[in-house]
Amino acid sequence: MAEKRRAGVAIMSDEQLLSQAGVSALLRGALLRLLECRPEDPVGFLAEHFAHLSSEAEDGASERQSVSRALWHLSLAHHSHRSAFNNNVRVAYELLTQGVPRRLGVGGVRGRLYSEMLRCLCSEGGLSGSTAAPLLRRIQSHDYESVPFELFRQGVLTCAVFADYIRKSQCLYAAVASAPDRPAERTLCQAVLSTLREALETADGADVARYLEASAKISPAKVAQAMAEVQPRAQRHDGLTMDAQEFEDAAAALFIARVRTVS
Amino acid sequence: MRSVMSANAVSCTIKSPVALQIGDAVSDSSRPGVYITDITLAEPVNIQEISFKNYYTAYLTVRLQRREDGSAKWVTCLRNYCLMSNPHAEDGSHDYFSIYRHQMLTEPDNVTTVRLILRQPSSEWLNFSIEEINIHPCAKEDSERDVPAWISTLTPVEEPLDLNGLPDPETVSSSIQQMWALTEIMQASQTAASIGRFDVEGSYDVKLLSYT
Repeated sequence: MAEKRRAGVAIMSDEQLLSQAGVSALLRGALLRLLECRPEDPVGFLAEHFAHLSSEAEDGASERQSVSRALWHLSLAHHSHRSAFNNNVRVAYELLTQGVPRRLGVGGVRGRLYSEMLRCLCSEGGLSGSTAAPLLRRIQSHDYESVPFELFRQGVLTCAVFADYIRKSQCLYAAVASAPDRPAERTLCQAVLSTLREALETADGADVARYLEASAKISPAKVAQAMAEVQPRAQRHDGLTMDAQEFEDAAAALFIARVRTVS
Repeated sequence: MRSVMSANAVSCTIKSPVALQIGDAVSDSSRPGVYITDITLAEPVNIQEISFKNYYTAYLTVRLQRREDGSAKWVTCLRNYCLMSNPHAEDGSHDYFSIYRHQMLTEPDNVTTVRLILRQPSSEWLNFSIEEINIHPCAKEDSERDVPAWISTLTPVEEPLDLNGLPDPETVSSSIQQMWALTEIMQASQTAASIGRFDVEGSYDVKLLSYT
C-alpha cells in the first residue's frame, strides 16, 4: 500500500478509475445497443457507436452530422422489427430536434431536415431519384414547416417499406420474365399487376374479412388462372414486351397511390 | 346442447296452471297432483324445440292442437316424459329441459295451442310447476347470412391449366403477396397527424391556401 502514496499524486484504484470516467456505464450502454441491433459487423458497429457518442458530446454539431447520425440510427433495425425500429425512430427524432428553439407548443423537426432525411433514406434503400420522386412529393414538407413525431415516424416507415416494395417488384419482374436477359411479355406483366391492383382495391370492411378476400385473389391458383387467360399459346414470343423500369414504375404507382399526402 | 336458433323463441301466451282435483276445489284441501297449463300461439308454428325450467314436476305430457285443413285436432306428442327419476327426491327438480321435434310422437307442425300436463305423484312437495317456457320454431330454409362472392371462387378449376412456358405461379404469387402485405403495412401506419400547413391558430387562412 505504501507504493500508492507517492508525493503529490494520489493514484486511484481500478474501481475508482472506472467509475469516475463513467466508463462502465459507457461500456454497458454499448453492449446493450449491440445486443439490440445484432449487426453483422460487431466491431465496426462498436466503432461507429463510440464515434457518434464522441461527436454528440461536442457542442454545435452541424446539421449534416445530425442527419447522418440519425440515418445511422435508422439503419440499425429493419422496419419489421417493430419495437427496435420505433426506438431508433425516437432516437433519430431527438437528434434532429436538438438545437431547434421550441416555440410555444410547437416542437418538431425542421421541414428542410425532414425532407433531406427522407431523400437520404430512399437513396440508401437503393431507390433511384426518379423512382422515389413521386413518393417524396406526397410526403415531404416545406422547408419552414415543423414536423411532429407521428408524422416523422410515418414518413420514415413509408420510405423503408417502399424500398422493400420496389425490391420485391424487381424480384417479381424477374419471375415473370422467361429469361434473365429478355424482357417480359407485356400481357403477362399487365395480368400480374392487375392481380395485385385488384387485391389492393378490396372493398373496405372488417379487417379479417378484407385480408381473406384479398389473399383469395392472389393465391397461386388465381395467379395461374390470370396468366393462362392472357397467354394463348400461338402468340407467345410475338407480343409486345415491357422492360424492367416500366414494370417497376407501374408497381410503384400502385403503392404511391395509397400514400396519404401530407398537409 | 342448445340449438343455434335458441334466440328466436316464438311469442306465446302462457295461461296460469289449472289444477285437476277430485271433488270440490273449495272444500277439499288436499294438494293437487296434476296441473294443466295451456300455451296459445299467435299464429301456427312448426315447432323445433320446447325448452323450460323444471320446478319439482315429475312427469310431463304434452298435447298439441294442430290446424289441419280448417279443423283443429288435438294430438299427444309426449306421454309421461320423466323429468324426475325419483319423484320423492331432488334429482331433476330444478333442471333445464329441451324437448326436440325428433322426440315427439307426431310432427309438431301448424301448432296453434300447446297443452302441458304436469304430474307429481309424491306428497313431498307443496307445489310444482314448470317455468321459463320457450317455444322455438323451425329454422328457415334460406340462410340468413350472405355468403361473400369470393368464397364460391375458392374451389380450384377442374381442368388443369396449360402452364407450359408460363412463369411459376407459386413464385409469382409469393412476390405479389409480399408486395400486398408491404402496402398494407404502409396503409396501417398512416395516421391522421398533420403538419398543420393551412392552419392559422387552429383555423384555415384563405390567403395561405392560394400559394400552394
